[in-house]
Amino acid sequence: MKARAFLSAELVDGRTVVGEMRSMAPLRLVPRRGGVVHLVSSVTAPLGGDDLELHVRVGPGAHLELRGVAATLALPGHRPGGSRSVVRVEVDEGGSLDHVPEPTVVTRRACHEAVFTADLAAGACLRTREVLVLGRVGEPPGTLVSTLDVRRDGPLVRQTTRIGDPATDGSPAGLAGMRVLGTEFLCWGADVPEPVSHDWWSLVPLARGGSLATALAPDAVTAERALAEARRAHPGSSDLLTRSRTRFR
Amino acid sequence: MDLAALMLADSRFPGGGHVHSGGLEEAVARKLVTDLPSLQCFLVGRLRTAGLLNAVFAAAATRGRFAELDVELDVRTPSPAQRAASRMQGRGIARAARKAWPSDRLSDLLKATPEPHHPIIVGALVGDPRAAAQVVAYHAVTGPATGAIRLLGLDPFGVNAIIANLQVDMETVAAQAEQHANTAPADLPAPSAPGLDLLAEAHDRHHREEVRLFVS
Repeated sequence: MKARAFLSAELVDGRTVVGEMRSMAPLRLVPRRGGVVHLVSSVTAPLGGDDLELHVRVGPGAHLELRGVAATLALPGHRPGGSRSVVRVEVDEGGSLDHVPEPTVVTRRACHEAVFTADLAAGACLRTREVLVLGRVGEPPGTLVSTLDVRRDGPLVRQTTRIGDPATDGSPAGLAGMRVLGTEFLCWGADVPEPVSHDWWSLVPLARGGSLATALAPDAVTAERALAEARRAHPGSSDLLTRSRTRFR
Repeated sequence: MDLAALMLADSRFPGGGHVHSGGLEEAVARKLVTDLPSLQCFLVGRLRTAGLLNAVFAAAATRGRFAELDVELDVRTPSPAQRAASRMQGRGIARAARKAWPSDRLSDLLKATPEPHHPIIVGALVGDPRAAAQVVAYHAVTGPATGAIRLLGLDPFGVNAIIANLQVDMETVAAQAEQHANTAPADLPAPSAPGLDLLAEAHDRHHREEVRLFVS
């Protein structure tokens, strides 16, 4: 299945409104009040062979919250080749995007590639979270390659995580045998001045701006709690909290 | 392999690499590495993640473009402790290299980045992408391996055999890296190592609070 969806948010009379919106199965966009849009998967996806792309544009001064409603299951398909889903984001001057999808579960024999790219204008804000779960309970994971690439006047972060190689999944250098990896990129005003860390999570200032929270945990609930704890150490967390119209986690 | 590559790979090279354990000391403190099999697991994971990243940048640095590579490696290294460790090792190598191999190329590098990242200065000094990648892939495992002998009192012959057994893995990493020698810096691979990132930050925190044997 090939799908291309588009969403834009603009500031009109001091309020964020959804401008253009084009859903395409399985990428169904459901607008709520106050600049909140839910991303719903209308059919089972991604399956092997799927090629999905969501393009999001946030206009000057607008604040968009893009949320998932249910976990994504990456599954194998009948067709050869893996699945690929791309989220491409542009945030204009003074705009902000809060992108919080639900966890992605990499099921056995799945072969999935996820890409998140963002281009930020000066003074734009972005929060994007990714929680990757290695298989359903008791299930070994398939393979997943996930890339995070954020630019603001040059690159801020580029990293590609590979899941499904037992030698790195099980190594303390890789995922340390944990079932869940959570990461959250924050570019929301000032960055965290110093790294804040615990044994299995950290929030660190990146070299060229932006902050990154990383958590390894035995389950998704623990990973999300760790990310929330890391986020509380970020100077922008209270602003995120006030802006958030939906459940803040 | 040329003499510079052999000298850089030699643990007796006075580049100051011996004060870094590459996250091993923290892994030992948490009992994640306790014996030879768990050391091997640590090293294989380190080689395929951080080792690959460094090998790719060493190979790419044989073609110059030092300032761009410096930025691109920075944005692929989220942990400030790991960025600092990489630059500290680069600085140590630079100190020795100024005496041993003075050249325009080295001056260009140090002008572009006075505190170069470890794999970038290795690439600048070695010149051949395959050999440069091999040196840093080897560094990625020998530092922690020696650390394990000192911290856990492991059998040095057993540890040495683990390194020898990593040959295929190391060659695979070096071959992958070599293919990227001419890739644009922005398009270079960016393998993450979440475990190493967390170990490096935790080590840094403990290093400031209590005495640790290694700097990283």
